[in-house]
Amino acid sequence: MSRRFAGAGRVVRRRLLVAVPILVLTSIGMFALGAASPIDPAKQYAGSAAFTANPEVLAQIRANWGVDDPLPVQYLRWIGNLLRGDLGWSTSRHEPVASVIAARAGWTLLVVSLALAIVLLASLLLGALAAYRRNGIFDRTLRAAAYAVEAMPVFWIGLASIAVFALALGWLPAGGLTDVTASGTGFGDVAHHLVLPVLVLAISQAPWFVLFVRDGVADSLRDDHVLAARARGLPGRTILFGHALRTALLPFLTLIGTHLPELVGGAILVETVFSLPGLGGVTVQAALGSDFPLLAAITLLTTAAVLTANLATDLAYAAADPRIRLDA
Amino acid sequence: MIRRVPAVLVACALALAACSTSPTTSGAAASADRTFVVATAGEPDTLNPVLNYGVDGASLIFDGLVARDAGNALVPGLAAALPTVSPDGKTVTATLRDGIAFHDGSPLTSADVVFTYQAILDPKVDSVIRSDLEMLASVTAPDPKTVVFTLKYAYAPFLQRLALGIVPAAALQGTDVNQADFNRKPIGTGPYKVESWTPGDKLVLAANDTYFGGKPANAKVVVAFVADDNVRAQRMRAGEFDAAELAPKLAAGFDSVGGYQVHRVDSADYRGVMLPMGNPVTGDLAVRKALNAAVDRTAMIGGVLGGAGEPAYGPVPPTSEFAEPAAAGRPAADAVAATAALDAGGWAAGGDGIRAKGGQRAAFTLMYPATDSLRKELALAVTADAKKVGIEIKPEGLTWDAIDTRISQDALLMGFGTPYDPDFTSYKLFSSQFAGQGYFNPGHYKSPVVDKALQDGRDLADPAARKAAYSSFQKQLATDLPWLFLAYLKHTYVVKDAVNGVQPRVEAHEHDVANSIWWNINTWKRK
Amino acid sequence: MLDALPRRRVLRLRPGQTGTLVAASVLAVAILACLLAPALWPLDQSAVALDQTRLPPSWAHPAGTDDLGRDVSLRALYGLRVSLLVGAVAALVATVIGGIVGGIAGTLGGPVDRLLMRVVDTVAALPHLLLGIFIVAMLRPSLGAVIASIGVTHWLSTARIVRSELLSLRNRPFIDAAISGGAGRRRILTRHLLPHVLPRLALATTLMIPHAVWHETALSFLGLGLPPHLASLGNMINDGQGSLLTGAWWASIAPGAVIVVVTLAIAALAVRWREYLDPRVRAELQL
Repeated sequence: MSRRFAGAGRVVRRRLLVAVPILVLTSIGMFALGAASPIDPAKQYAGSAAFTANPEVLAQIRANWGVDDPLPVQYLRWIGNLLRGDLGWSTSRHEPVASVIAARAGWTLLVVSLALAIVLLASLLLGALAAYRRNGIFDRTLRAAAYAVEAMPVFWIGLASIAVFALALGWLPAGGLTDVTASGTGFGDVAHHLVLPVLVLAISQAPWFVLFVRDGVADSLRDDHVLAARARGLPGRTILFGHALRTALLPFLTLIGTHLPELVGGAILVETVFSLPGLGGVTVQAALGSDFPLLAAITLLTTAAVLTANLATDLAYAAADPRIRLDA
Repeated sequence: MIRRVPAVLVACALALAACSTSPTTSGAAASADRTFVVATAGEPDTLNPVLNYGVDGASLIFDGLVARDAGNALVPGLAAALPTVSPDGKTVTATLRDGIAFHDGSPLTSADVVFTYQAILDPKVDSVIRSDLEMLASVTAPDPKTVVFTLKYAYAPFLQRLALGIVPAAALQGTDVNQADFNRKPIGTGPYKVESWTPGDKLVLAANDTYFGGKPANAKVVVAFVADDNVRAQRMRAGEFDAAELAPKLAAGFDSVGGYQVHRVDSADYRGVMLPMGNPVTGDLAVRKALNAAVDRTAMIGGVLGGAGEPAYGPVPPTSEFAEPAAAGRPAADAVAATAALDAGGWAAGGDGIRAKGGQRAAFTLMYPATDSLRKELALAVTADAKKVGIEIKPEGLTWDAIDTRISQDALLMGFGTPYDPDFTSYKLFSSQFAGQGYFNPGHYKSPVVDKALQDGRDLADPAARKAAYSSFQKQLATDLPWLFLAYLKHTYVVKDAVNGVQPRVEAHEHDVANSIWWNINTWKRK
Repeated sequence: MLDALPRRRVLRLRPGQTGTLVAASVLAVAILACLLAPALWPLDQSAVALDQTRLPPSWAHPAGTDDLGRDVSLRALYGLRVSLLVGAVAALVATVIGGIVGGIAGTLGGPVDRLLMRVVDTVAALPHLLLGIFIVAMLRPSLGAVIASIGVTHWLSTARIVRSELLSLRNRPFIDAAISGGAGRRRILTRHLLPHVLPRLALATTLMIPHAVWHETALSFLGLGLPPHLASLGNMINDGQGSLLTGAWWASIAPGAVIVVVTLAIAALAVRWREYLDPRVRAELQL
């Protein structure tokens, strides 16, 4: 085990050598875009009251914020504050960016990880079953469904599920996180509210995974060791889940990593459709309110998180497959 | 190793679920009977009156020196009686009631009132309501019970500005008011204390049993913030809320459902098209007259507002005592009058169906804020009506900052209105001294008659003289038509039948936690 | 990410000839309808009919009317026009950026190639919808901003394709022959490399279109895309969300169905095309 991680330190270093400059470049690009943008932060801050506030009042607000300083000064101040953990002040929500994120990131993580867990389990199971009888009825139906779902925008699936399960049948709530009368976030209450959003997110992300597993298992069913197992007369279930699926699992790990950006995008849309108090909903609000500090912090943090997760899946992949040398 | 991966992920997810759901508040079993749940789209940015929360009173958490009754008439609030105004109108004196305490138990004194108003005037405080108080020279507290406001000039409706909630000086003194914790967990004197505020979700208020206006009739109020109209309607139908503000068309869906009452509440909240004088087309009175005749206000109220509206012809709502009936027009489209106005103004019919005058086509851009679907629909309705009489409008959905740079040239679908005094907003919107100052009079409308009338309305203390001034103001606006007024909205609420004590009053443009149909929720009971 | 990975082949569907025919004719009809729409069925983007709101589907209005009495089917057609246009232009932008990066990596090879590919891998891991939202929010929502936000976040697969194609060509005998035959750099590029790379580049661009359409509708749905009164598929689904509760389900069905059908048709054709180009090629291309 330890030998497998022998090159890990070097790989992490090498990855960081690319990832950190890219994060810095992204932050500079974002800041430049924010500075070049014609949007007046003071007006965004004042909200509807800007219509009845004096221009001098707005000018004073701008001066209080130091938004009239030269750009490099502002950038260094911003990035310095970020590194010290001071994420700034959200102009659209009128509270510290850190507390906006702290209050909401947990829910987004919960939705994303539940959806991911469901996707993984379902795609392993369905993909393997489809591969076992290639071009059988189940295989064909599953693939057709996967292609169809892949073509559907996730927000459209969300709306359709609300129309059916919330409006027509009345089985599940159409949105929100808890019953309003609840004074806390009870487990059953939250679970009831999360069924639809998590399933919609999972279904919209599933096609990639299902098709991938199906192809991988189908290929490995023709591998020598699997054929040998068949020849020994082992039962189908053992061959499928014990041998073929195991081989197909390896590249699957990396797919999770490369697929995370898609998952984040899906989460933003799903949270908006179901009005969940997560990061996705607040991102859209921040974008509509041109709230640079909040938007930039969420984008940078998510980017860093996704890059880290990517690195983690690569390391896990290498650890799981003795054939891969990390420093290759 | 490999096989364990999904299991690990599931375990992580479950652990996360457990972490996220742990902060369950204790005492969840508050009797549902004594809790009222209301829902609105409008979540305040802050709960600090200094920073623009509930400045017109009825904020549930705070009280002003004065308050308003069901007819929006001023009544004493924290002041023992309505404040007195000196004969020259420049000194206003208020005496506080005895024995009023903030939610934290500390007593209210005149120093708190002075602090509140001085904080608004302080340039370091990012208060956007400072310009509402520009007549205020100083506030002093000669003794703990008395507050004296000294004005730079006489300002007739000054008492209307005293509904602003009073904050405790001790809680904010020496802190940065802009970013104080107080803004999210405030302390007031009002009927409810803030128990918790989960941004984007809900505000939980607990009854203040020692409220000077009497112990609230219920124990708890939850204000749910549900930005999405559709989700709010769905959750209302699921029975989650006792009352909710809904878009008119969605509220209409409850008319036929048993157990609910739909309230269409009169408001001073108008929508209209600001027509800039500097634009070669909208600057021509003939075009403005034609537009005013061409729009079908009845169809807009039926089709866009779902019936929840009244036609508008000026900035003073028909429910106001200052309304001038002579300034009203016809609610239905009058194509004949519109055509006649264009003919008389020299706008001749062109080959493409669009009128023109001296090489200038009767075409202009109408901007609307892209996120506001009501204004989008009104803008499209105006566009369609104008086309019928040969005026071409190009609607453009923009963000506010993009609108900003163009308001002196392009028409804009705007909305404003308070029922409290005609001086509010109208003075800045139509007086020539504010021409071109941001959203004050962006169209550079200038009329000596209007200027004088607005100034008289503010200077004169005599109610009859003020009424005459505002009557002349409205008639002049109806002649010059610097705005194409379309409709006064009725704010639509759905309330459960079981709720007792609902008493709608005329509402302002701004209505969220404060100043909605639940302004008197402290007296609501269940049948 | 790691070089030893088996390639993904998510989209290796093998529709029979009928499937291809159906996809081709669906796409042909859609494109033809988009091109001819202004001449045959003109649409006034700002027209409303307040006396015909929310009519269910009928012969006069095959997909019903929306909240402002506008014909949903006609607007969906114009929405497809806008979406395809945005998708095509954004895909072109992405192809140009990706072509340049991939071209540099593939022709220079060595350390430059390794560095550029690391950069591509890292940029591919950035959450692109989030970056797109950021770009649009700062540039103000508009057609140009939407195209820019898609273009600068979607060039990565093109870069990979161009690079790997060039690298594989470098070692092929006919290139060596051309070089030893004294052909100049430019001649090798235009006569030998480009003809091999271009078809794959075109395929990558085509496959990018559904992705770009999806991105555009997502941004419009969030209120961050095209002006809301403009008929675009995302705007229409967004509007339709309001009609859903009042019972007018049809307002969001038509635009959604259009997205699904056209995406599927493009994907199916692209897959055939790829199989034709190289039966063994396995996808860097993804939908």
